Amino acid sequence: MTWFAAGRPQHSGSGPRRHFHPRSDVANTNAAQRLNHGSTLLAASVLLDSGLEHYRGQYFNRAMYTPVLVSSAVLASSLHGAGDAGARSSRVRHAVQALAGLTGVVGLGFHAYNVGKREGGYRWENLFYAAPIGAPFALTLAGVLGGAAERVRDADPRDALLLGLPAGPLLAAGTALGLAGTVGEAGLLHFRGAYHNPAMFLPVSVPPLAGALLAWAAVRGSGRRPLTRGWLWATAALGLGGVGFHTYGISRKMGGWRNWSQNLLSGPPLPAPPAFTGLALAGLAALDLLERREHA
Amino acid sequence: MRLPGTGNAADNPQERTPGDDPRQVPRAGNGRAPNVMRIGAWVPMRQYVDDDEVDFVIVGTGAGGGTLAAKLAEHGFTVAALDAGPYWRPLEDFASDEMHQSKLYWTDERIVDGENPLQLGSNNSGKSVGGSTVHFAMVSLRFRPDWFKARSLLGYGADWPLDWREMWDYYGEVEQTLKIAGPVTYPWGPKRSRYPYRAHELSASAKVLARGAEALGIAWTPTPIATLSAPRGDAPPCVYRGFCTLGCSTNAKQSVLNTWLPRALKAGAEIRDLAMVGRIETKHGRATGVHYHREGRWRFQRARNVVVAGYAIETPRLLLMSASSEFPDGLANSSGLVGRYLTVQGNQAVWGVFDEEIRSYKGPPSLAITEHWNYEDRGKDFSGGYCYMSQGPLPTLWGKTQATARGLWGEALVAEMQRYNHVAGLKVVSEYMPQARNRVTLAEETDQYRLPIARVTYSWCDNDRAMNRHALAFMRQALEAAGGREIWDQENDTCHLNGTARMGDDPRTSVVNADCRSWDIPNLWICDGSVFPTVGGVNPSLTIQAIACRTADRIKALAACGDLSGAASASPKRALAWAS
Ligand SMILES: Cc1cc2nc3c(=O)[nH]c(=O)nc-3n(C[C@H](O)[C@H](O)[C@H](O)COP(=O)(O)OP(=O)(O)OC[C@H]3O[C@@H](n4cnc5c(N)ncnc54)[C@H](O)[C@@H]3O)c2cc1C
Ligand code: SF4
Repeated sequence: MTWFAAGRPQHSGSGPRRHFHPRSDVANTNAAQRLNHGSTLLAASVLLDSGLEHYRGQYFNRAMYTPVLVSSAVLASSLHGAGDAGARSSRVRHAVQALAGLTGVVGLGFHAYNVGKREGGYRWENLFYAAPIGAPFALTLAGVLGGAAERVRDADPRDALLLGLPAGPLLAAGTALGLAGTVGEAGLLHFRGAYHNPAMFLPVSVPPLAGALLAWAAVRGSGRRPLTRGWLWATAALGLGGVGFHTYGISRKMGGWRNWSQNLLSGPPLPAPPAFTGLALAGLAALDLLERREHA
Repeated sequence: MRLPGTGNAADNPQERTPGDDPRQVPRAGNGRAPNVMRIGAWVPMRQYVDDDEVDFVIVGTGAGGGTLAAKLAEHGFTVAALDAGPYWRPLEDFASDEMHQSKLYWTDERIVDGENPLQLGSNNSGKSVGGSTVHFAMVSLRFRPDWFKARSLLGYGADWPLDWREMWDYYGEVEQTLKIAGPVTYPWGPKRSRYPYRAHELSASAKVLARGAEALGIAWTPTPIATLSAPRGDAPPCVYRGFCTLGCSTNAKQSVLNTWLPRALKAGAEIRDLAMVGRIETKHGRATGVHYHREGRWRFQRARNVVVAGYAIETPRLLLMSASSEFPDGLANSSGLVGRYLTVQGNQAVWGVFDEEIRSYKGPPSLAITEHWNYEDRGKDFSGGYCYMSQGPLPTLWGKTQATARGLWGEALVAEMQRYNHVAGLKVVSEYMPQARNRVTLAEETDQYRLPIARVTYSWCDNDRAMNRHALAFMRQALEAAGGREIWDQENDTCHLNGTARMGDDPRTSVVNADCRSWDIPNLWICDGSVFPTVGGVNPSLTIQAIACRTADRIKALAACGDLSGAASASPKRALAWAS
């Protein structure tokens, strides 16, 4: 709080959004870096997941290279952002993130089309086995988080705005939505696995609660939220723990890890669960912004 | 829990295939039986000596006998289940070789006659611990409710003494036990609980069925099937290599061998492999035990109850072979119906060539199905129903089909085989009518045990022929609509034997009652596909297992109220201290 007391420029409130180039807005930078961490994890998850799955699909359509290339770019730019302690946003990074956001949406369209054109159209079995309908959206989320990081870096330290709205609540709401989507995806694929292991219920119980708490925080707008923070950390841990569970899942396929070259492709996707960690980190950044807003 | 990295013997050169031959030397004995889920492992097995009077001796460990053995043992009865076949270890014994795997079939000599003699062997009966389910195609369907009252409601065949609602509950139990992978919602019939596992991805041949059905405006669905779509205990999910009807070497297939029988062993049943039963002994109107051949000699196992579950040919054969001065026409045969009403199902197919690659060998053969003509009665010129499903013949079987059903040979055969990867077909399972003239009798000739071999007499009736015509014409339309070219009909195939010891309400017109208990001999039971009065238009094994579950529960209830005529202990023994 001392930085604000030290006479930082005031944001005029309702006027057009001004660009701030504060000398050392540590808090904003921290939040931005956290967003970059989230974006990094999501991008890494997309890179590995789409890389594996599209390799499995033998890249029979050239467009299947797109998410691999774009998520690599996002990954690089988010990593760069995460390592950047400065308070200036980068146009290049911003452009890459925007491109990723767009690619994810286009991918979504592709995947949705892919499901629908199968025999039987939009039925459960096609949702299970066609290109996973929600997966490309993780790329959009990675891009959006990375983009938000650039904006937050650059924003009024006391009242960061995104798209003309207060950044904290907006990011909280957006992350809650992202969590909902990711939960939907995990729920669908775990339903496909018939929840044969009780641990498969974890990603459809822990993150939804974190998402709900985050959404509530977005509505309430301010206040300290240790419980929300706790659930978000739990969600972040779950994302990493999920890799362990999926490792075990692969070991239960015929031949186990000895037959890794096949089972890695057909088993539960190893890189998918960290998407939860990425979103949880973004949620934590949103909380940071929310809490700071109150204390400003 | 499955340990990481454990595959089957073929996966891991460090694991060796077992040195013993389970066809020569029994594997169950010395207080242990193979643990079929783990390479080289064993589970403890309770053992009886021949002089022990067990509560139940069960002949045959297939869909009927194996299921019953598990359930009865779990109800606390003492059980010895005998099977003429070997005790396979699928992870170690099963090769990916069509010829080698014919070791699973019952290929003992039989005589076939009638106007339409049946082809016997690979496509109808197995000789293994686990019965035919070791090499069945895993399609797991429920009967249409009306079929249980076919005569009253649909005007053909015979009524069953069972209520469909009760059966619906038992179907649910079996589906849970086998973790059937099926569609999220099933398009036909009354509501059923959700299948325990989700449906598998459609293979290319299944997609052909789906396209055809959609073009003709009828419903289709992924087939409910007894192979895992997710891991289960030590069993991995299916790897879609398509060797199902030749013995699944991964244990993804949920056969009686790897589901019910481990449960039976755990509950204290003994399983005796390589034990061919040749005769049921009776005294004063009751069964006293069975004579069986094992390790080169004939032995006698005493029992308070005898259950015959040997499949629709071996069951009547054994009952007829057990004729005595007391029962000169064979056991349970006062109605004269033992061996009669042998009812198979139609298995005709249409095949065609497709532009795209189908690669039939990929995945379980039947991954899509339509039961449209099981539930739709309008527009039929015959009684009964049929379903049809996608197919996945492996190359040797395909070559054989070309040579036998189509008469191709030499260059023509080679040319046809070169198109193997582009061929898809639709195959029916249709409901033939029960006819008294279709029957199993004893021939003069004898087999390796010096027992008279079975004579199987079979002829179609007009209704059967009308059904064949309808099914072939409809499937041809469907295949054409899906893009098939050069379509030809495989007209002569049949599958699934049932009947021969039908159940009913009247001792004059049936062999057993609803509890599978014979009318004539109160401690003789029959529990396999033989008890079907009609066969319905779906594959039978789910119904056989459901009936076995019901029978076990009924026996428990009868025992509790002292109605096993002192045959079994009135209060089943629970204590199985041996296992601990
Ligand atoms: C290739 C193939 C595919 C099939 N596909 C399907 C399918 O997809 N879906 C389906 O529902 N059904 C299918 N079936 C049919 C199904 O397997 C049988 O209907 C079912 O297994 C019959 O059960 P059962 O108990 O009557 O006999 P079985 O399962 O055949 O068991 C009989 C056992 O008794 C033993 N036996 C017989 N006589 C004696 C004796 N005297 N002494 C000792 N042991 C004896 C035999 O060795 C055998 O192991 C298929 C069958 C085959 C062959
Ligand atoms: S396709 Fe599946 S069920 Fe069939 S043999 Fe292979 S693993 Fe077993």
